[in-house]
Amino acid sequence: MAGFRVRSWRAALAIGTVATLALAACGSDKKSSTTTAAPSVNSGATGGSSPSSAGGTAQMSDKPLVIARSMDVNSLDPQRAYCDTCQIFMTAVYETLIGLDKDNKTLVPRLATSWTASPDQTEFTFNLDPNAKFADGTPVTSTDVKFSWERLQGLKAASSYLVSLIKSIDDSDPHVVKVTLSAPNSAFLAQVNASYLGIVNSKVAQANGATTDPNTDKAETWFLSNSAGSGPFELESYTEGSELKFKANPNYWGPNGPKFPEVDMKQTDSAVTQRQQLEQGAVDIAMQISADTAAGMSGGDINVEPVSSFNFVYLALSPGVKGGEDLTPDVRKAIREALDYDHLVDVTVGGKGKPQPSPIPNGFAGTDGLAAPAQNLDDAKKLLAGKTYTFDATFPSINVYGVDFSTAMQEVQSELKNVGITLNLNPVEISVWADKIGGDGIPVTMLYFAPDHTDSSQYVQYFGLVDNSQWVTWGKVPADPTQNEQLSKAFATQDETARAQVYNGLAQKMIDDQIIIPIVNPDLFLASRSDIQGMHYSACCNLDLAQLSRS
Amino acid sequence: MPFLLLGIISAIFVVSRLTPADPLVSIVGERNLGNPEIVAAAKARWGLDQSIPVQYVKYMKNVLKGDFGTSFTTRRPVLSDLWDRLPATLELTLFALFIGVVGGLTLGVLAARKRNTVVDHGARFFALLGSSLPWFWSGLVFLYIFYARLHWLPGPGRFDPRATPPARITGFYTVDSLLHGDIDAYWDSLRHLILPAVVLGWAVVGIVSRLVRASLLDEFSMEYVRVARAMGMRERTVVNQHALRNALLPTITIVGFSFAYLITGAVLVETVFSWPGLGSYAVEASRKLDFPAIIGVSALGALAFLLTNLVTDVAYAIADPRIRLS
Repeated sequence: MAGFRVRSWRAALAIGTVATLALAACGSDKKSSTTTAAPSVNSGATGGSSPSSAGGTAQMSDKPLVIARSMDVNSLDPQRAYCDTCQIFMTAVYETLIGLDKDNKTLVPRLATSWTASPDQTEFTFNLDPNAKFADGTPVTSTDVKFSWERLQGLKAASSYLVSLIKSIDDSDPHVVKVTLSAPNSAFLAQVNASYLGIVNSKVAQANGATTDPNTDKAETWFLSNSAGSGPFELESYTEGSELKFKANPNYWGPNGPKFPEVDMKQTDSAVTQRQQLEQGAVDIAMQISADTAAGMSGGDINVEPVSSFNFVYLALSPGVKGGEDLTPDVRKAIREALDYDHLVDVTVGGKGKPQPSPIPNGFAGTDGLAAPAQNLDDAKKLLAGKTYTFDATFPSINVYGVDFSTAMQEVQSELKNVGITLNLNPVEISVWADKIGGDGIPVTMLYFAPDHTDSSQYVQYFGLVDNSQWVTWGKVPADPTQNEQLSKAFATQDETARAQVYNGLAQKMIDDQIIIPIVNPDLFLASRSDIQGMHYSACCNLDLAQLSRS
Repeated sequence: MPFLLLGIISAIFVVSRLTPADPLVSIVGERNLGNPEIVAAAKARWGLDQSIPVQYVKYMKNVLKGDFGTSFTTRRPVLSDLWDRLPATLELTLFALFIGVVGGLTLGVLAARKRNTVVDHGARFFALLGSSLPWFWSGLVFLYIFYARLHWLPGPGRFDPRATPPARITGFYTVDSLLHGDIDAYWDSLRHLILPAVVLGWAVVGIVSRLVRASLLDEFSMEYVRVARAMGMRERTVVNQHALRNALLPTITIVGFSFAYLITGAVLVETVFSWPGLGSYAVEASRKLDFPAIIGVSALGALAFLLTNLVTDVAYAIADPRIRLS
């Protein structure tokens, strides 16, 4: 009968749907694992690596390495890339002339076996390793270096400031690169180590539309699915918003080759989800575990290790902008002394971090002996002489390095109230913040900084009251001629002791200026499955994939 | 429809350009905002150094040629981005719609037949919960319970992080894996679909069930239903064969709107579940003030709404012979 047939097919459909969903849900998750023991949490020194470091003798794993990360890729074009994930990509695929040792300080040979600098720090000569070759087997020559750096300069993309002083590059000898700068720059060697100065195969790049002229260059799209470097890995594929895949370079020439046939970086936005994936065994490394997420992690198959980093979050005071007129030196000093830095570290990163005296982070040249910032409420109140002040505090509503800016600013607001300073908090999208800071300016704001290379000059050039410094522009304050002189002095010598002394003086000046007040230097959490060796934090490169292996 | 679409694109263009925000921060990084050379080069590259009317004319000329520009974020043509991401969102929303409609119909019929009983109240409470709980909250809670604690279902993403998804034919992982004959891939992609689709679809269960219940109760008061019952027809036949068919008419309209509603919900759910669809693309584009991407995804959204309305009107005409489209 019709009614029976209709009833039965509807019933069949309903039963089939439920059965399919139930079967799917009950299907085994081959990759998951449950763990019961507590994690091993070690304290780490700056840039430390996990106890069982990978050596060059580690075997190639038969399984890919899977990394969970919230990627921020802006480009995979080596001369346009500029982001944290880009540092990892560039280091793996496009080698630099100079590498960085595990201590995050010592420059070591990479594509260049040796280098010299002229006494006046304007001419630098690099001797290339004759064994160095690109992934397609062709040798790395001085022409490739010249093309890479001139393209970086010519395209004027985000990282081009690193090569802005290059006047000329001599590639007459295929194994020697001679660079002449337009001004002394002893930081050039550290800048050469920056991942953004990685070398591209010039012939391959040019064959695919790369030029040094932004009006004619057409290679960026090609670089989204191809690579032309000499690094231990090559680009396998990139699916925006989903996955960045590397494959081992079978022709890798160097001593520290890839230990994985593939590295898959999977887009995972939240730290909590990364943690869940790590605990389930779905990924081998979770790259952005925050302090509060790490506290909840459990499982004997996982290593979670906090290590010191060079990243920091800071408060910026702009006395020259509209609404910042009352930010006199005394008021700025009062703000600095009103803050309880240890408490701020507790509130923002659960104690997993450190206060930082100056805008040059702890561990960089020039920071030895700097007094840790200390709260002094009595002195702060004395400086304010009983007056009250109110300032606009527009800041980007972001969470960076585990620091939630809204939480941090609320704590700063609460602490400044103790001395009679009121902050009108205004969290906004970063693009709105950028519009405001570049326009009228913002009297009190918060931002973050991570190093592009290992020289302290980058901090003076950005934070100091020197010509063309970002905060001279944004804060609308005049440059300080003595700071200009000191920076020039630092650029004019390679003597590490002399440079450290100069940077120490500059760091103290920046503290005294009270324009930039570091709030917290958060630890980084190295979170991985326990069979992964070589986990580390690199000041130049974030994470060097070639140092990782599976036991 | 084309003029409507062009009007929407123009409106979004103007509004996004007039927003007091600087897209350069996502192009050059906040660290380089004070570097005049880098800023000038970026503005020249992306056409941001021209006046807004000039930018508008150039942009609309390209749109008429089918070119929606290049995304600031992905550095790829916006149409390529949309083409790559659309299947992920469609697969999720269609599955969520299926769950929502089947679940809503079932609950609505049950609630109407068992009116004012515990079953009715329970069904309505369940539906109300689905409509009122915020998607991002449900998503996070479901992930915690079913993935992190019970291990019943996989975590975020469309596929096992350690496996390779099926090569694209349609872009629907479930369909593509079947077309490739890969049953393991099919089950994996289906299992990854369940949680986000249930989170999305639960809201539709609420909407559909309440409408079905109300419509059915109206139909139950009609004379033809009383006659059918008086003739001794089984209750199941009265409901499924007669009353439900009439009660479904307003439901067709709401299903159409629900699809559009799910597309908006996908924005949050995709972010929670790291689902690489149009929703997460739109979120990133908005955050970074990626004008070409914002306009592209908005135009696609507007087109989806218009098409959904059209399909709904046609479906309504098919379901109700009294209506004829002219």
